[in-house]
Amino acid sequence: MALTVLRGGHIVDPATGQDAIGDVWFEDGRIVERPEGRSADEEIDVSGHIVMAGAIDIHSHIAGGNVNTARLLLPELHRAIRARLAGTPLSTAKWSSYETGRLYAQMGFTTVVEPAMAPHHALQTHLEFNDVPIIDKGALTVLGNDDFLLGMLRDGEKDGAINDYVAQTVENTRSLGLKCINPGGVEAFKENMRAFGLDDVVPFYGLTSRQIFQALQKATQAVGIAHPLHLHMNNLGLAGNIDTALATIDAAQGLPLHLAHVQFYAYGKEGKNGFSSAGALFAEKVNANKKVSVDVGQVMFSDTVTISSDVLKQFNSLPGAIPKKGAIFDGDANGGGIVPYAYKISNYYNAIQWAAGLELFLLIDNPEQVFFTTDHPNGGPFTTYPELFALLMSADLRAQHLSRLPADVLEHTTLPSISREYTLYEIAQMSRSGAAKLFGFEDRGRLGAGAVADIAVYKPGRDVAGMFRRATYVFKDGNLVVRDGEVSHYTRGKTLHIRPRYDQQITKRLDSYYDDLYGLPRGIFDVPDAALPHKDAFAEVPCRI
Amino acid sequence: METATLDGKAIALDDAYRHAAKILSGAAFPLVAGLGADVAGARAAILLAEQLRGAFDHLASRETLADIDVKRSFGMFTTTANEARVRGDCVVLIGPGLTQAWPGMLERLAPSQPPRRGAQAQQPRKVIWLGPEGDEASAIPGAKVIPASAHQLSGVLAAWRARFGGRPVALDADKVSLIDGLVETLKNARFGVFVWSASTLDPLAIEMLQGLVIELNATTRFTGVHIGGRSGASGVTQTSGWMTGFPPRTGFGRGYPEHDPWRFEASRLVDSGEADAALWISAFDGEKPAWSRDDIPLITLAPANAAPSRGLFIGVGQPGVTHDAVLMSQETGGMTLRKASAPTDAPSVAQAISAIMAEVSEGAWR
Repeated sequence: MALTVLRGGHIVDPATGQDAIGDVWFEDGRIVERPEGRSADEEIDVSGHIVMAGAIDIHSHIAGGNVNTARLLLPELHRAIRARLAGTPLSTAKWSSYETGRLYAQMGFTTVVEPAMAPHHALQTHLEFNDVPIIDKGALTVLGNDDFLLGMLRDGEKDGAINDYVAQTVENTRSLGLKCINPGGVEAFKENMRAFGLDDVVPFYGLTSRQIFQALQKATQAVGIAHPLHLHMNNLGLAGNIDTALATIDAAQGLPLHLAHVQFYAYGKEGKNGFSSAGALFAEKVNANKKVSVDVGQVMFSDTVTISSDVLKQFNSLPGAIPKKGAIFDGDANGGGIVPYAYKISNYYNAIQWAAGLELFLLIDNPEQVFFTTDHPNGGPFTTYPELFALLMSADLRAQHLSRLPADVLEHTTLPSISREYTLYEIAQMSRSGAAKLFGFEDRGRLGAGAVADIAVYKPGRDVAGMFRRATYVFKDGNLVVRDGEVSHYTRGKTLHIRPRYDQQITKRLDSYYDDLYGLPRGIFDVPDAALPHKDAFAEVPCRI
Repeated sequence: METATLDGKAIALDDAYRHAAKILSGAAFPLVAGLGADVAGARAAILLAEQLRGAFDHLASRETLADIDVKRSFGMFTTTANEARVRGDCVVLIGPGLTQAWPGMLERLAPSQPPRRGAQAQQPRKVIWLGPEGDEASAIPGAKVIPASAHQLSGVLAAWRARFGGRPVALDADKVSLIDGLVETLKNARFGVFVWSASTLDPLAIEMLQGLVIELNATTRFTGVHIGGRSGASGVTQTSGWMTGFPPRTGFGRGYPEHDPWRFEASRLVDSGEADAALWISAFDGEKPAWSRDDIPLITLAPANAAPSRGLFIGVGQPGVTHDAVLMSQETGGMTLRKASAPTDAPSVAQAISAIMAEVSEGAWR
């Protein structure tokens, strides 16, 4: 591939500390140092533009059975309106896997992590990934409501066996790490519990949520998975659940922990509605706990759908569905609940949610500790990220929005008092360097020599959201895939996964478990290469140990 | 095993692919129908329909859309067959022919064995079968059989739901007390499961069933297992879902997908003359199209023993039999790779369509 130089852009690359005018060279899909004695085969003038690494979305529900159920549940939410360009089949088929790849690429995103892959449905997630063009994908495997794990914990098995099980499951489902969703609470819902807190006990297992997530947190570290346990806590969405969040952080044992879509846990009980923002309190706790990272799950006012493997929570949300319908799936372990919803700026509760999310962004000091998700599509679609970046970068823009909220909201959020504005460098820390660190990606989220040549070039202007929505150029593995905000052709991205080590004894034990319980070969749940349409679908990311 | 015929006469396979491409490219609104294929075949067929700006439908869409219509207009509770097996303490089978729609059903649900988990673990499972066919229910010792003909199912379900809600029904006192007893059983279940197949229930009956599920969940846990349609319907529907956002009966005439269960119904498109060429895919068993016209250009992809005497025929292998295939598995509720049980070198649907695609203008994103 040709030696290419992007000449004279404003490079914003926190991983290498660059925030200045300079050139970026790449060849054969990788960033290179400026080669001595060679001139570029291709030179692109990007003066007047911002140059960043391709962005990484650490938590976005883009693939798998639950997402597909949502598509089928809500045909009215995604009517297509325009024909696609040549060379990009299905790229305008709204909410299709193909459109997902196109839209992410156009915003300069080149890696996206689907955070909830059920072990028994992993193959479908990977089949869908295969049909997301351009970008690289990865998934987190969901454990914590599965009988095999809970049974081992109940029976007081040694850490070694639990570590082996975790590592084997991550390897076999071909993911980047572990997610735990309302630990024990989904199993408890099957036994008809309708609420489940940190110290409630799972029927027939005698375990608390606290014990389950702590065990998985330890196992994640022990087997060398770079990404900390990715935890969806108990009591999502409930007034006063800040107590759950603070207690969960206190229970983190000094080990790394990632808390997902924390905006949905930043609620107090103040005011006449008994619902207030506790974003400031939450942010203070995160600032004091450097091993805790969070993504926000920002609410953006829009019609959307909530997709979650927290089946207990989703069942409880059904009466508030907009429109009034939903799907509840009791899976082999977690399952899923799909409940449509509309966030309205005129709704007191939604406005508090919006404000709480922004408080979290603006009051957490370190941009590499807080990530910009909307928990797509739960707080709003990923296509609202450009508007979200604009809100973070402008106190004036936030003030305009605040003036449209119900007046009593302002009494229950600290947002009006916050003047902080994110810089482009901080945006890049959150969406590039920090995100890469969070997953142990050493060759992405950065523009240093040796990194993958995933590069986004933006034209700055008064319309910050517009700048992020339509990148001027995007290169994926050194290939030009977006020009002036349009995808002109597809390339095929990889699915990233890790292979932690474990003792093969666990495999035999699992074989007999499946045989005894289901009378089925365990391999029926596998993700073999032969099941995917293309060879080389995967790329391995090294483990921490 | 490579076979191709044109109006019953053998032709070379390469000529057949070229001819198929010519027919489809020359059509104003081609139809890809049948779609009896594995995931790879469905994927190729949908990409072909998209490129041709045609439409696609599956031969079991009536059943698939009965379930989906309830889901998207009302909502749905479901579980996996394995969860029903290990936890279901009360299994209620609805309608006739379930063991034909899903031959492995009794082995998978293991209704004669006690559940393994939950409040009723190791207690005898309650099994009720409403309206089985013939002695279908005799395979489950102890099952309570409630006789009903297929057309009575909706009415019976309505009566159950009415009595559950304490509302009067216009039935004899004997029947009312029978129903009240059954409703008590449902209420006392700890993890109850309805099992149904849309091949014998219409959407209103399925909605009635799901309405009852929602009401039961006010106090206990209840859910359902639905049996998918024939010829790979569930896997094709999932594939169609992520590729286009919609289930089959979707058209691309405007260059983007539009889903309309009436407009893009295969037989209607052919019989009305709106479609002017058809690619019929039925790789599992060679099922024939249900339309009545026989004067539009037709390409058939089916097993060698199902060659029609009219039109262009390309013999393909059977998914999971002659070649490895990804299919939706009824026993797990997920996609799985089925290894070939009797491998041959017959092309798969995906390979045949890929060869046709290679002859179609824009060329291949595969």
